[in-house]
Amino acid sequence: MASDNGQLALPPGSSVTTTSVLGAWARPDKPTGLMNWVTTVDHKKIGIMYGAASLFFLLVGGVAALMIRIQLATPDSTFLSGDAYNRVYTMHGTVMVFLVVMPIGAAFANYLMPLQIGARDVAFPRINAFSFWVFLAGGLMLNTSWFLGGGPDGGWFNYAPNNGIIYSPGHGIDFWNMGLLIAGIGSMTGAVNLITTVINMRAPGMTLMKMPVFTWMTLVTQFLLLFAIPVLTVAQVLLAADRNFGANFFNVQQGADPLLWQHLFWIFGHPEVYLMILPAFGIVSEIIPTFSRKPIFGYPFMVFSGIAIGFMGWGVWAHHMFVSGLGPLSVSAFTVGTMFIAVPTGVKILNWLFTMWGAKIILSTPMLFSIALVTQFTIGGLSGVSHAIAPHDTQQTDTYYIVAHFHYVLFGGAFFGFVGGIYFWAPKAFGFLMNERFGKVQFWMMVIGFNVTFAPMHILGLQGMPRRMQTYSAVQGFGMWNMVASIGAFILGIGTMLTVVNLYTSHRAWVRQGRPNVGADPWDARTIEWSIPSPTPEHNFDTDPVVTHLDDWWHRKYQKDENGKLRLVHTGEELAQAGNGEGVHLPAPSYWPITLAFSLPIIGYGVMYTFWLLIPGILLMMAALFGWAFEPADNLDLDDHDHGHDDQAGGAEKELETV
Amino acid sequence: MSIRSNLEQLMRSRSFSFRSLRRVCLVPVLALVLASCADDKPLNTFEPRGPKAQDVYDLMNPIWYVMLVVFILVVGGGIAIAFMNRVDGDTLDPNDLPEQVHGNTKLEILWTIAPAVLLAGISVFVVDDIWNLEEKNDPEPCAVGETSANCDGLDVMVIGQQWWWEYRYDVDGDGFFVDGNGDGVVDDRDRDLPLEFVLDPDDVATATELVIPAGEQVDLLLTSRDVIHSFWIPRLNGKRDTVPGRWHTWSLNADSPGKYTGWCTEFCGLSHARMRMSTIALEKDEFEAWLANQASAAEVPSDPEAMAGRELFAANCMSCHVIRDDGADGIIDYPDDFAANVPLASHAAPDLTHFASRTTFAGGIYATYLGPGTDPNDDAFPAENYLDISELAQNPTAADDYRWNSAELKRWVSNAPSRKDMHSEVDPESGLGRGMLPFPQLTDEQLDQIVAYLATLD
Repeated sequence: MASDNGQLALPPGSSVTTTSVLGAWARPDKPTGLMNWVTTVDHKKIGIMYGAASLFFLLVGGVAALMIRIQLATPDSTFLSGDAYNRVYTMHGTVMVFLVVMPIGAAFANYLMPLQIGARDVAFPRINAFSFWVFLAGGLMLNTSWFLGGGPDGGWFNYAPNNGIIYSPGHGIDFWNMGLLIAGIGSMTGAVNLITTVINMRAPGMTLMKMPVFTWMTLVTQFLLLFAIPVLTVAQVLLAADRNFGANFFNVQQGADPLLWQHLFWIFGHPEVYLMILPAFGIVSEIIPTFSRKPIFGYPFMVFSGIAIGFMGWGVWAHHMFVSGLGPLSVSAFTVGTMFIAVPTGVKILNWLFTMWGAKIILSTPMLFSIALVTQFTIGGLSGVSHAIAPHDTQQTDTYYIVAHFHYVLFGGAFFGFVGGIYFWAPKAFGFLMNERFGKVQFWMMVIGFNVTFAPMHILGLQGMPRRMQTYSAVQGFGMWNMVASIGAFILGIGTMLTVVNLYTSHRAWVRQGRPNVGADPWDARTIEWSIPSPTPEHNFDTDPVVTHLDDWWHRKYQKDENGKLRLVHTGEELAQAGNGEGVHLPAPSYWPITLAFSLPIIGYGVMYTFWLLIPGILLMMAALFGWAFEPADNLDLDDHDHGHDDQAGGAEKELETV
Repeated sequence: MSIRSNLEQLMRSRSFSFRSLRRVCLVPVLALVLASCADDKPLNTFEPRGPKAQDVYDLMNPIWYVMLVVFILVVGGGIAIAFMNRVDGDTLDPNDLPEQVHGNTKLEILWTIAPAVLLAGISVFVVDDIWNLEEKNDPEPCAVGETSANCDGLDVMVIGQQWWWEYRYDVDGDGFFVDGNGDGVVDDRDRDLPLEFVLDPDDVATATELVIPAGEQVDLLLTSRDVIHSFWIPRLNGKRDTVPGRWHTWSLNADSPGKYTGWCTEFCGLSHARMRMSTIALEKDEFEAWLANQASAAEVPSDPEAMAGRELFAANCMSCHVIRDDGADGIIDYPDDFAANVPLASHAAPDLTHFASRTTFAGGIYATYLGPGTDPNDDAFPAENYLDISELAQNPTAADDYRWNSAELKRWVSNAPSRKDMHSEVDPESGLGRGMLPFPQLTDEQLDQIVAYLATLD
């Protein structure tokens, strides 16, 4: 019994009723098919859906990016009008930040973190499903703006008072505001869920300092989300009050100070930068030791530098505002703070390099992408230090130098890490290895395309080309490098698309070969998610793993012989679990998370267009909340509620869902 | 010949020195080399032409070298380590393990402390420079109501609006502000009022081109009438945002006469890409003559075509645009609360009193005068054929080669929104517009008359 450990859990199956939900619907119980995906509460399926959704939005944001590059390839171009350009670049930034990089981080966190800590699922599986669906609902609502009068035109930063009703009278910015407000709810609930999971549901023996670095970075990321998203939500509620209800929070004529928006946005926005990059840091911290065949260099420093970045990330927001007129004292304080955030980041870079030092490195595709992250992020980090020099930032800010910088950080850094992660964990998630030769072609296309696109932007920025410019004149001398960048963008775009192509063709080849078993541990990896069959069985672990070491899986395979020499004493296949889930109890699927999630855009449209829409929206929301509240966590109509299996386990994982 | 052998030859040659490398523009990264060598880049931040911009450049210059060293060590080192230590995964013996190093606390503390110390050292110079850049001519800024003549140097107010810049020179020496709240004193409480109530209507107002004396620091007081803009003349100084409801200070100083172009650098809506400006530095005596001319009232034209244009201007344009005319004949005569009645979100349109003395219009995208060999029907922004008034000051006959850009002016007056994106229609809810209305009712002849009148406003 869970209560033996003094932890909170309902006694399984004893005090819940078995009546069907509100007497109206039977519990969904399809094991496969569309309805299964829609109602699933399985963290792995939710993780895959996060990944698929972010790849879809990557296509949207990527097409927007290529439209921008076509427009800017030549001076005085008329491919996009000023109005269209402003909407396209706003949506490019917004989609890439909120609907691509953030959810792809969530995809890895959802899929991997429970496996890395030896858990059955996350702490609140239905809330996990809700987090995904509400992100998707918000993201889709934002993108319906393309068809309902045009996207938002205020930039992803959406500065006041340009975001006000006088200066942007259409509905574009309302879509931005409502869509992200709704998607933000998913980030909040997801953060609470994953933090609870890491804190409470680790396998026996897995102390905090034995957690894989990826799990650590997930934990830091979720704390950043937990505290950062509410700040954006506050700003967006104020903006909604201004735009939709005639309030004056950002109305200068009524005495407002527009810098309020900038402070709120960047207090969210700078931690946001770190919560986008930290999951990728976690990913390469798993990949580099695996293919270097060495433990990560200085694990405690890696962990604490990640935590330090998380803390220091809260104290540097005003470096986005060095020319906003803060006054020299504030600028001095933030310039010094910003310079010092380079220290923990530098520690991470050097520790990765020293993990590779003296190693025997297998240059597989995931490893290549990880090395690309380390090197490209370093370039972004260096240009970042040059922005921290506030006097020089007065020349750089709002130029293409900044555009170059954050693409080196977010694409060359975060996204390369994520692509490496897809290659690395594809066998665990899907059961097949992605084609290596194809992967290497893709790697070189992406690295070359990336540098051809964004390296010239450093030059353009220092030559004085401002950002967010629909066009420029030939006399300004920006033509050549813009053309180079546009050519690079198409190479990069094709290279990025090859991720999906490779997934598809590798899957097809695998099916044609009769779905051969790739084995539990194809990379000779280090952490316990590789101790279970590939693809991961629905119930994850047959029995609770008991952890004794950091990189526990590796230490089970490699042990010292009588001469004190490390040897492979058991192969992964010998040690791997069988994938027998007989008698394992799993949380039951539910209709309510998706119902609740999709009631919110109806309310959002209601605020924008007509309050009559609030009636069906709120009714649906109330129905979903009540349905959820009265629905037992377990489907007791199914046969699998044999709790004996769980009760033998000693870990915290048995508290699957009590909410 | 390869780059490498070129470099080797250079290294062997006697003339090689670090300094000569710099002279041939081998500044840190190849990227930056290209930026600094280019001479046809009017916004290049690597070509400072004033002490403030030079200050920023000098601060950053050694830091580029530090960055270059880190770049080579980390990026080059990282790639080298990865490729030197690579093994073939297919033939790897799983027992052939590298030494299992878990870390080295001393080393890690070193590379935590060392960059921190380096950055602390740099930050001393950086913080010092932040304060230097804020320095004004007068350590105590001119108090509100104090005449700028009593303070050192020239003060200019810079006002951003969608999508052009206004500049105000306090030539009558009674300050930028008037008693907007009617309490009998001009003080900070007046500054908190909407802009149109506090600006001194007697100040000289110009647009798009900021004319300053060369070799002198000009202190700027920046604000905006609508959204946030950012004022940036890269060769003279960094940028500073103009924020509605706030008053920011900044300064410019050009070493020598010339034209220095700039661009609004805070996204400000639809025509952000077409909100351009320039600063023109003149010799001191030329500047004084220019300012005296700007302070004078517009002359009533004698030419009948221009006179007809003046009446058309009064009928069509005067509800937004000001021309400081002596008003003796009552044709051009503004109500006392003119600015409050302008149906624009900013409550302001460019002051046209000396329109023909400016070399560009429409937010700096069209040239008022066309250079030799330019086609006035060219739809591309022909503002690159600026008549440079600093050059004109030295060589007055240069103007003979230029002609009044009447073709573009006519297109602009008859339908400005077709020449530059703007929201000219008045929003039914707020009753405000954000741009110049089209005037389809004006005939071709009437347009000629208006443009002829504008040509007299020099």
